Amino acid sequence: MTDELNVLAGAYALDALDDDERAVFEEHLHSCPECTEEVRGLRNAAAELSHLTEVGPPPQLRAAVLGAVAQSRPLPPLVDGARVLPLRRTRSAALWQGLAAACALIAIVVSAWGYSEHRQAQRSADARGSVVESLLAAPDVRATTTTMKQGQSTLIYSRREHRLVLIGRGMPVLPADETYQLWMMSATGEPVSGGLFRPDPNGNVELPASGDLDGVDRMGVSVEPAGGSAQPTPTTVQVLKL
Amino acid sequence: MTSMWFERSSSGDDRAEPATRTLDELVASAARGDEAAFAALYDQTSARVYGMVLRVVRDPAQAAEVTQDVYLEVWRQSARFDADKGSVLPWLLMIAHRRAVDRVRSAQSSLVRDDKYAQLNEERPYDSVSEQVQTSLDAQRVRRVLADPTPAQREAVTLAYFGGYTHTEVAELLTLPLGTVKTRIRDGLIRMRDALGVMA
Repeated sequence: MTDELNVLAGAYALDALDDDERAVFEEHLHSCPECTEEVRGLRNAAAELSHLTEVGPPPQLRAAVLGAVAQSRPLPPLVDGARVLPLRRTRSAALWQGLAAACALIAIVVSAWGYSEHRQAQRSADARGSVVESLLAAPDVRATTTTMKQGQSTLIYSRREHRLVLIGRGMPVLPADETYQLWMMSATGEPVSGGLFRPDPNGNVELPASGDLDGVDRMGVSVEPAGGSAQPTPTTVQVLKL
Repeated sequence: MTSMWFERSSSGDDRAEPATRTLDELVASAARGDEAAFAALYDQTSARVYGMVLRVVRDPAQAAEVTQDVYLEVWRQSARFDADKGSVLPWLLMIAHRRAVDRVRSAQSSLVRDDKYAQLNEERPYDSVSEQVQTSLDAQRVRRVLADPTPAQREAVTLAYFGGYTHTEVAELLTLPLGTVKTRIRDGLIRMRDALGVMA
């Protein structure tokens, strides 16, 4: 336990950290069982404060909530599994469909114990924090950020280690018959699919991938029909320059 | 740590579902698509959730919106609720508080939040909350628990929780070093936690 970080447990339990501080603290929580336990206790204490403000909601809210619920399917349980998918450079349709399936699986692995919302997304699988962390340690790590129609995307990547993580924030949640698709783009050939993904209900996603980025000078994110496309739909594609 | 005290239904509202079903069971049923169980969960928890959200965002229409989002998320995440990691109400309230805080931080006009003098004079979280306190046993218990932290700790905790301020903003509002506020918030919560543990 790091004392300097441990003292943040209270502010964290009250959602009183700003986004950067919270990211650092959540990273710390992955490796600090004492802080995790403390946060749980302090959160329980904070929850008790809501006894002081108890007020019945407007009666019509019940029908609105239950109406919305009736039109939405609960997410499946979290299933542990591979969280890093291979980023393939082959054009074989069969292969990239396999990758798409892997991506879909990863997209399902969102947040574990609640959360938060997009912070919710941040508190997901322990593995993800370590994926980002180890990538940040790569000697040639680079990051690029673009604000797009589809929210904000950051790509952290290492050409030497053949790895990347795509971090999306505030991406529009797509209808069930559409999906986001990641593309590797080069000056010399057609875009190659890097897989499909869906942000969480708050439009946030962290997508680790691995593969050879040699020759790739841009990554694209496009909106495609469910199942993905062989080539990006030009009107929807947004580009991150590497 | 004991968890009995926050598992209790606080609304006193037992319609629809037999009181024998715990919140854990209701969430587990909801995860399998049981809308009636989810309705019962809503009935047993919505006053806690809505009241807290209303306190943070202030505007009833926005509070209703946020509350609806919260329950939709709880429904969607119900299969991922892990009873080994905590109890239902803190989980639900954590989701709700995050969303309420997100709402005020992104939407509240800078005019309101930048006027520190006005905030300090108008904003007396603990006192004004106390005025609304119902004379329920739960509320009385929490008031006793809130008496345990020092007034300075209580002020920092309630500004963060009900005011939706970051600890940096709390430090500004109270004209204190950030380190002091960090410590006050944590120590205040620890005192509350310990007091609750003893009383559970």
